[in-house]
Amino acid sequence: MGMLGWVITGLAIWHFTIWLPDRFWGGIVGALVGSLIGAVVVGLIIYGAKVSALKVPGEKATDIAVVLYAVPGALLGMAAVYLEGMRRERHSP
Amino acid sequence: MSDRRRNALVLLVVAGLILASAAAITAKTTRLGLDLKGGVELVYQGKPTAQSKVDSESLERAITIMRKRVDQLGVAQPEIQRSGASEITVALPDVSNAARAQDEVGQTAQLYFYDWEPNVIGPDGKPAPTEATVTGGEAAGSAQTGLAEYQAVLRAAKRPAILRKSDTTWQQRCTPQQVDGCIYGSWYLIDTAHEKMLCSAGASICAPEETEQNLYSDGYRPPPGSKPEAVRVNPGTVLVQARPEEEANGKVTDQSPNSWYVLNDEPVLKGSDITNPQQSFNEGAGENGQPNVTFGFTSHGKEVFQRVTKEIAHRGQEAQLPGVSKEAALQHFAVVLDDQLITTPSIDYTKYPEGIDASSGSEISGGFTITSAQNLANELQSGALPIKLALISRSQVSATLGKQALRQGLLAGLAGFAVVCMFLLLFYRVLGFIAVGGLLIYGVYLFALIKLIPVTLTLPGIAGVILTIGVAADANIVIFERVKEEIRGGRSIISGIATGYRRGFAAIVDANVVTFMTAFILFALATAEVKGFAFMLGIGTLVSLFTAVLATQAALGAMSRSRVVTHPAALGAARRGAGWRFDFMGASKWFFSLSGTILLIGALAIGGKGLNFGIDFKSGTRIQTAFIRPVSEGEVAAVMSAAGYPNAQVQKFTNQSVGGTGYQISTKTLRPEALDRVQAALNTKFGHGPSVPGTKNFSSTSIGPTFGKTVANSAIIAIIASLLVISAYIALRFEWKYAVPVLIALMHDLLITAGVYSLTGREVTTATVAALLTILGYSLYDTIIVFDRVRENVPRMPRAAFSQIVNRSMSEVLTRSLATSFCTLLPVVALLLFGGETLKDFAFALMVGIASGAYSSIFIASPVLTHWKEREGAYRSRRARIMRELGQVPAYATTAGGAPEDVEPVQRRRRTRRGSLVAPEDPGEQLSREEFQELVRDLDIEAQPSDQSSPSPGRTDLSTVGVAQRPVAQQPGQDAQERDDPAARDAGPARDPAADLTPEDLVLKDEPKRREKRRRPRNRRHGRSR
Repeated sequence: MGMLGWVITGLAIWHFTIWLPDRFWGGIVGALVGSLIGAVVVGLIIYGAKVSALKVPGEKATDIAVVLYAVPGALLGMAAVYLEGMRRERHSP
Repeated sequence: MSDRRRNALVLLVVAGLILASAAAITAKTTRLGLDLKGGVELVYQGKPTAQSKVDSESLERAITIMRKRVDQLGVAQPEIQRSGASEITVALPDVSNAARAQDEVGQTAQLYFYDWEPNVIGPDGKPAPTEATVTGGEAAGSAQTGLAEYQAVLRAAKRPAILRKSDTTWQQRCTPQQVDGCIYGSWYLIDTAHEKMLCSAGASICAPEETEQNLYSDGYRPPPGSKPEAVRVNPGTVLVQARPEEEANGKVTDQSPNSWYVLNDEPVLKGSDITNPQQSFNEGAGENGQPNVTFGFTSHGKEVFQRVTKEIAHRGQEAQLPGVSKEAALQHFAVVLDDQLITTPSIDYTKYPEGIDASSGSEISGGFTITSAQNLANELQSGALPIKLALISRSQVSATLGKQALRQGLLAGLAGFAVVCMFLLLFYRVLGFIAVGGLLIYGVYLFALIKLIPVTLTLPGIAGVILTIGVAADANIVIFERVKEEIRGGRSIISGIATGYRRGFAAIVDANVVTFMTAFILFALATAEVKGFAFMLGIGTLVSLFTAVLATQAALGAMSRSRVVTHPAALGAARRGAGWRFDFMGASKWFFSLSGTILLIGALAIGGKGLNFGIDFKSGTRIQTAFIRPVSEGEVAAVMSAAGYPNAQVQKFTNQSVGGTGYQISTKTLRPEALDRVQAALNTKFGHGPSVPGTKNFSSTSIGPTFGKTVANSAIIAIIASLLVISAYIALRFEWKYAVPVLIALMHDLLITAGVYSLTGREVTTATVAALLTILGYSLYDTIIVFDRVRENVPRMPRAAFSQIVNRSMSEVLTRSLATSFCTLLPVVALLLFGGETLKDFAFALMVGIASGAYSSIFIASPVLTHWKEREGAYRSRRARIMRELGQVPAYATTAGGAPEDVEPVQRRRRTRRGSLVAPEDPGEQLSREEFQELVRDLDIEAQPSDQSSPSPGRTDLSTVGVAQRPVAQQPGQDAQERDDPAARDAGPARDPAADLTPEDLVLKDEPKRREKRRRPRNRRHGRSR
């Protein structure tokens, strides 16, 4: 259930990238990949730190706070893809 | 063949099929499923035994044997089928006694014959043939001399592993680690603090489990204060339950005594060694006339039986010591059925010193009633199941409930059909009549197929049929919109119909193939309940392709010469609609934000409320029943509490199907016997004596945890498989870049539906999973319609930005996209309103998903595609050029006169054998203006050989009508260069630095390079075909 919450959050946040200039590495699809991976990875890390084990929260362990763990991850993931896109843009002929 | 002849032939075939269908409909009966007819459904999971592993072969053998048993039960139209990797589903219509059906169908019936004394294990873990306290002596195998199960387990656990080459443990090289699904002995859970067995549901007798984990599989938690310990009994040792105790008259008094013997698991004969088992009676001198089971032996069985009984006789003779009675010396032979001793006859060495001649057969007697002897004979006749079968789900539907469900399903179907017909008639007028005719033909064909195959019609199956009404209508809408578009574009009626069908066909095939693939995956992977839906969806899609495309085309073609359709108004194509001039791509920012917000709310709802999973996923038992007199929730809860289920949830509901007010009782998974106890308690409490039971229309569904996991896993696999297959198909038919937005849109739809489910708290069942997978198909339907037009427009707009191409495509297909979605929603709403409780959740998921799918195909998939494609060099160059020329990228690419930019792409012309241009469908019909211009272009009449700069035929001269007509003043540098460079002037116009691809370069891969083929030598014959 936690994974479902993280994926939905990642996808939801990605929708707002439409307002940014398209400098993502891989474009809007690259941003989606960054958002989803970031949401899941950071979600796992934060939840893992909380329960001292690397596992996906189940149905009972998932609450609003757990779902929101995905927010920083999604933002970081997209930021990373954006920065990489800019770097490649600068170095492209 | 001329069109007229072809149409006549198709209509003839259609009429012939209608007659054949009518004959089939009247001659054949409809096979109704359990949910519409009432009955019992049992789902078993195969578990390996020491002798056989669970694989396709053993499952198929088990199904064959179960079918024989069901036939012996006299059940009409039973269905026994494999489901998933290791499950078998048994549907028994019109069977009201679930417990009896379960006993007789799923009984393993593994029969073994043991030489008793040498195999009974003593306290030191070794055989003790001479110790009467171990073997039972004269009372061998009786309940009085056995051990309690706890003690027997401890004794058996002392034994080392003994692997025999005939066992699966040996054949599979299994180790105590039990990796790769290996069986290595059996596991028991004991409480060392209280010296008793621990098993779920408070049963006094605990069956062994294959693995240690399985001991806790039902979510079982040992009671507080206990000291649980998992104990393994190694391979080669088995616990058998003592014979049931009998009264003096031979009547069985206790079916399950807690008395056990530990045996060295080395049977001398198996059930497969006996033949012709029959129920009979002990008759003759000195017999008591009790029921028994007689049987013969196979040749191998005869030989072994005689040899073993001879050995037993000799052993008895040797044990006949002075002072020992003959009875005490006699040795025994044990018959064990499913780990329970049936009988332990002694072999009288004085009567059979050379063993018993088995040529005249033998008998099993002792403690049988007539019914139990008949059951055993039947089980032995049908043969032992090669594997153990664990009941993981049992559903019982009352016949009244089934009839009510059938009524509701049919009502929903008729209502759905009626509203779809009304919509088609109102929206498409004459075309609508033809579409309704097509739908009626579709209905007749489908009903005939249901009877002919025969398909067992279930409630989800009816939902599938109702949904395919939408599919069939959608195909017509796609084509009709195309026809109207062609006619409005200037084509004649006849030409418009032909072109509309031809151009709409590809989109319909793509969309239907995707729906069919989704249905196929559902059918292959889903549980039995959903299979019916998937099957009907698949068949319906194929039939609708025939009726909605071929049949209606022939009908319309035949009518096109009549006065009914000679005016465009009759087809609803009289006026050129205002058209959608909306900047879809520009507004996509807002729609993206809207979707993001909805998803965020959904995510928070999932965090806050979670999903309300039904018992299909969580396991448990749900009982629905009415009572013969008014009772309160408290009274029902009190009965449940007294029966040992204080946490049972009791909810009142009103439904005609249960006779007015009924109750739904939800509790943890009840084993069949516990369920029977609950029903008996309710009957007793609310009934009038034993003859008038308190419950009526009692129905129940029990789902074990294993089944719930299977359902969840198959759902996930089905969704992933669908996504992969759909992506592959889109990538093949379009371009791989088109597949990614499709996937994103699908993800969007599924997750929005999940969010809505969470927000509304609706129950997630297997039907919801089916609905989700159907949503995949439908969401794609819309997306394919849009992408198909984008694909078509790409070569038509060789200088436009991709956003302009998509905007134009959207404006062209939005009406039909909305119409198809609306038309599909109509039967879904009918399901929601009239489909009854069972189908309401299903319809709700479909409604949300279809609405979301229509939205996402327009506002999610297309913008993502646009963003991604515009990163490509060609489109980036175009955008840069347009920006340079106009200072902005307009929403729509238009010519200087405001008309849509359009380069007529190479036409998919139908040619005569001599390669001449196509003639109008009707020789008497005049060419429309557009067709005439097309013909002129094809003949290159407008081309001036001396004009080097004129565009090649087939391409519009963009210097005169193109959107990006370049103002001279804006490109001084380039013009100056042209003026100064005579070579450049001679070579024709300089290529735009933001070089566009030619239309031919942009033709997608499924568009064959037709240009070379189309261009033919001038001296070929042109003109109308004869």
